[in-house]
Amino acid sequence: MATPGQLMFARRLGPTARLLIWLLVGVSCVVADARYRALDDLRSGFSLLLQPARETLRAPSDIAAELGGFFTRHRLLQNERDALLAERARLLISVNAAKELVRENAELRTLLQLQTRPGQQAVQAALLYQGHDWFAQRITLDQGGGAGLRSGLPVVDATGLVGQVSRVYPGSSEVALVSSPEQLTPVFVERTGQRGLAAGSGHGQMELRYMPAQTDIRAGDRLLTSGIDRVYPSGIPVARVSRVSRSQSSPYLRVECLPLAGLDRSRAVLVLIAEPQVTTR
Amino acid sequence: MNMPAQMFGSWRRILGSLTLAVLLEQLPWSGWALALRPDFVLVGVLFWTLHQPARIGFGAAFFLGLLADFQDGSVFGQHAIAYVAGVYLVLFLRMRLLQFDPYRQAAQLFPILLTVQLAVLLIGWLAVNPPASLVMLLPVLSSTVLWYLVALFVRLWHGKSLLDRA
Repeated sequence: MATPGQLMFARRLGPTARLLIWLLVGVSCVVADARYRALDDLRSGFSLLLQPARETLRAPSDIAAELGGFFTRHRLLQNERDALLAERARLLISVNAAKELVRENAELRTLLQLQTRPGQQAVQAALLYQGHDWFAQRITLDQGGGAGLRSGLPVVDATGLVGQVSRVYPGSSEVALVSSPEQLTPVFVERTGQRGLAAGSGHGQMELRYMPAQTDIRAGDRLLTSGIDRVYPSGIPVARVSRVSRSQSSPYLRVECLPLAGLDRSRAVLVLIAEPQVTTR
Repeated sequence: MNMPAQMFGSWRRILGSLTLAVLLEQLPWSGWALALRPDFVLVGVLFWTLHQPARIGFGAAFFLGLLADFQDGSVFGQHAIAYVAGVYLVLFLRMRLLQFDPYRQAAQLFPILLTVQLAVLLIGWLAVNPPASLVMLLPVLSSTVLWYLVALFVRLWHGKSLLDRA
C-alpha cells in the first residue's frame, strides 16, 4: 500500500503492518496497566509534566473570580459579616456543648475500657482538573503525596462527601466521585438508622442498593456514612433520596438519590486523614 | 515555490500546534463545555497525519493517546489504540480526503472520529467495565466542527494548490 511521497520500492513497513505493531503495543499497555498496575510511574511522570500547565491555565478563571470578588458591594460584605458573626456565636455555643460531650464520652469510654476513636486531620485542596471518561467520574486535586495524602482517603466539602482519593502523584491526586459508577459508599438512613450500600450510577446520581421492598424509606430522607467500612468516618452527609419506586421483577426497591456535595461545582475541598493515635484537646 | 510548502509543514509548526492542542485540553473545562469539548489533540494528530504523513504518524498518535489516557484517568492504552486506529484510517483514505473542500473533508472525518470514540468505548468496556452514558459521543460532533474550522482556516491562509501538493 504505497502512499505518495514514498519511494515505490522503499523498504519501509506499510501502514497495515505498522498498525498491527502499534495495536500489539497498545494491548500490552492495557494489560500491563489494568492487570499488573505496572505503569504507575508513567502516570506520575505525566502528572509532573502537566501540572505546571494546569496550574497556569487555571489562573485566568481564578483571576476573574478575584476581580468579581473585589467589586462586591461594601453593603453586601457588611451584611455577610453580620450574618457570619451571628452564625459564629451560635456555633461557639454548640462547640462548647460538643467539648463537654467529648469529655463526657472520653470518661465513659475509659470506664467501659473501649478503644478511643482515631482523631482526624484535614488537608485543604483545590480542584485542578476534571477528567472526561466513559467509565468513571474523576477530578484532579492540587495536593498530592507531598501533603500526606494516600489512596483511599475520603474527600469532603462543606455540604457532604465528595469521593475517595484513587491515585496519588507527587503534587496532585485523583479523586473518584461518589456518583462515579462502581463507587460504593456504606451509608445509613438518618431518619430510621437502616444501613445500606449507596452506589454511583453515573450522570451525577446515586442509587441505594439492596433495600427490601418493605423498607421504610421515602423521598427526602438523608443518607449519612455509616462508618462500618473504617474508610469514611461515620456521619458525613452523602445524598438525599429523590425517588423511591417498586418494580415487579425485583425483590428490592429502586431508590434514586442525589449527592449532597457539589461534586463538580465545589472548588475547595478537604481531604480527611485519619490518625492512628488519639488527639484530644 | 517550494518554500511555503516546507514552511507549512515545518517541525516548529507541527510541534507548536500539537502543544497548543494539549494545553487547550488542560484548561479547567466543566459542565456542558466539558461534555462538548472537541478532542483537540486527536484533530491535531489526524490533521498532521493527513498533511505530513512522513513526520506525524503512529508513534506520535500513540504517545499523545497515552497522554489522553492519563488526562482522563483511564487505563493506559485505551485512547492510544483508538488514536492509532484513527491514524490508520486517515492514511487509508488520504488520497481521497486531500481532494475535498473543508466542508466535505469534515463530513468524511466524522465516521473516522466516531470510529475512534467507539474504539475508546470498546477497549474500556473490555478492560474495565460497562460505560456510564452516551454523552461521551458529543465530542465527535464538536471535533468534526473543529476539523472543518481548521481545514477552512488553512485553506484561506495558504490557498488551495498547496494542500494538494503537501
